[in-house]
Amino acid sequence: MSTYILMKILESAPKRYDLGIRLLTRGRLDKIYDRLASRIKEEDKVLDIGCGTGALSLRAAQQGGTVKGIDINSQMLEIAKIRADKLNLDQKIEFGEMGVAELDREEADSYDAVMSGLFFSELAEDELSFSLREAKRILKPGGLLLVADEVRPDKVYKKIINGLRRLFFGAVVFIFTQTTTRALKNLPEKISGSGFEIESIKLNRGENFIELIARKP
Amino acid sequence: MRFLSFVVFNALETLLRLSPFPCKTGLIKIGNTGKDSPVFLTCNFHLTVQRVKRALKRMDAFLLVANSRGINVWCAAAGGHLTNHEVISVLKTSGIEDLVAQKKIILPQLAAPGVEANIIKQKTGWRVIWGPVNAKDIPHFLKNNLKKTKVMSGIAFPWTQRLEMAIAWAFFLSVILSLIMIFFWPKSVFALILLVWGLSFIIFLSFPLYSRFMSSEGKKIGSFFSKIRRMSFQLLLWIGIVVALSAHNVLAEDFSWGVVLRWSIISFVVIIILSFDLAGSTPTFRGGLLAEKQLEVVLDKKDCRGAGFCEQVCPRNCFEVDKIEHTASMIGRERCIQCGACIVQCPFDALHFESLEGEKTPPEIIRKFKLNLLGSRLKKSG
Repeated sequence: MSTYILMKILESAPKRYDLGIRLLTRGRLDKIYDRLASRIKEEDKVLDIGCGTGALSLRAAQQGGTVKGIDINSQMLEIAKIRADKLNLDQKIEFGEMGVAELDREEADSYDAVMSGLFFSELAEDELSFSLREAKRILKPGGLLLVADEVRPDKVYKKIINGLRRLFFGAVVFIFTQTTTRALKNLPEKISGSGFEIESIKLNRGENFIELIARKP
Repeated sequence: MRFLSFVVFNALETLLRLSPFPCKTGLIKIGNTGKDSPVFLTCNFHLTVQRVKRALKRMDAFLLVANSRGINVWCAAAGGHLTNHEVISVLKTSGIEDLVAQKKIILPQLAAPGVEANIIKQKTGWRVIWGPVNAKDIPHFLKNNLKKTKVMSGIAFPWTQRLEMAIAWAFFLSVILSLIMIFFWPKSVFALILLVWGLSFIIFLSFPLYSRFMSSEGKKIGSFFSKIRRMSFQLLLWIGIVVALSAHNVLAEDFSWGVVLRWSIISFVVIIILSFDLAGSTPTFRGGLLAEKQLEVVLDKKDCRGAGFCEQVCPRNCFEVDKIEHTASMIGRERCIQCGACIVQCPFDALHFESLEGEKTPPEIIRKFKLNLLGSRLKKSG
């Protein structure tokens, strides 16, 4: 799943992003997103941080939630809007060009769920702790934090395998887009450290992809 | 020790200058900072942060490093990696707001194509001051009460930077070509590397000799080779190489058409790659490859109220503002390199891009959609 690093190539060509992600993950990411979105109930108010082309936002809206999707990539948001229109979900979703730093403008205790797919790994350390703090503040008590992201494996041999894969894909991506992704370190610890109660953690076989559900107490 | 690591990093990262080098983002305190220390912001390209720190070393100042994905300020700003969001993010998440009394932030002038001063003010209350282009001018800029001279706000292509570009291109190209050559003609790899470095130094260092032939005033700009005159220097260089090669072979009494032909072709390829978008590798000429570089910046006099942001952010000193008449004029149109900074910053939307066919690109598109690697942007909105 180090192939997620390849999404950087795709990110610079947003139109091919979704097809690319599907090919890269052979549908696995779709399943993970489906599982996370299945936790959304009718009438839930949902925030999708780093929504990109709307993969999670659209699913949450299909579950009946009222969704706000934010991202700083205006090109990705354009695609997300078109997709919402096509699915007749434009009434249920509001997309906004907004970064995590502006989460402090959201009302406290106002969301039933905050979700984030393949996004926390894009943030700097300061930004991640700020985001988690704000996510906790804006969630209602008992509200859910749903995260899917790339992480660093714990086991040494898996670390090495993962490192080698990243090295190879990283080089390819670097040539095309001059950029790279990072895998998150100690994500569960950071999330519980921000005052969340972790409900479940699911890692893939390579232990480099996490599916995490946490709750604001 | 510090100086040594500065030198080592400079050398290494100059070799790899064409690729990004991310470093840690967030707040750096320099000297004994206090409530009134100035706040600077830069990108997280490692080499840039090193150089800014060096420029600030005798001062007490805060330096915010924004997450530009390891890309230098100018490229990141034009390519959408150093935008309002990255600036707002580091202002809000670094904790700087609790450390200073005044909300004033000095941004590198070259961030102006990507960061909108009025949005930063609106969303965070911080006032943006456009600093000098080069970090080394910062001390002078502070002494001058945050006022820039023409030299501080203009970009040039001095020999130091030409050397940097020559090394960066030579390293990149010699690695790639060697990897290809090693399969076909392994014993010539060393000669090839010498050739690439030699040509790279000649082409970049002698740039001022022939750059006046590259002037693009009033003409449609194609690639470097669209005009025979523009390639004359490179052509002469190549002919020189071929003649020297033949002469050497004749004198060595070992003449072989095969060798001459092969090296002629190789040197031709190297020269073409190095010169193909040479203008685009310089900060002072518009590249021929990027679609947007064919556009012209147009100033609508009727909307202009002489706010003067264009003059502050233009790296080519194209604008002059009449403070009495409250109007700006483009006095240096021929110098313009289409970076778009003036369009992005104008509070009255008095500037826009226009193609030779008269098609307009309005400011809101330029603010919203940044350039991709091919130098074009998404045209529509909503």
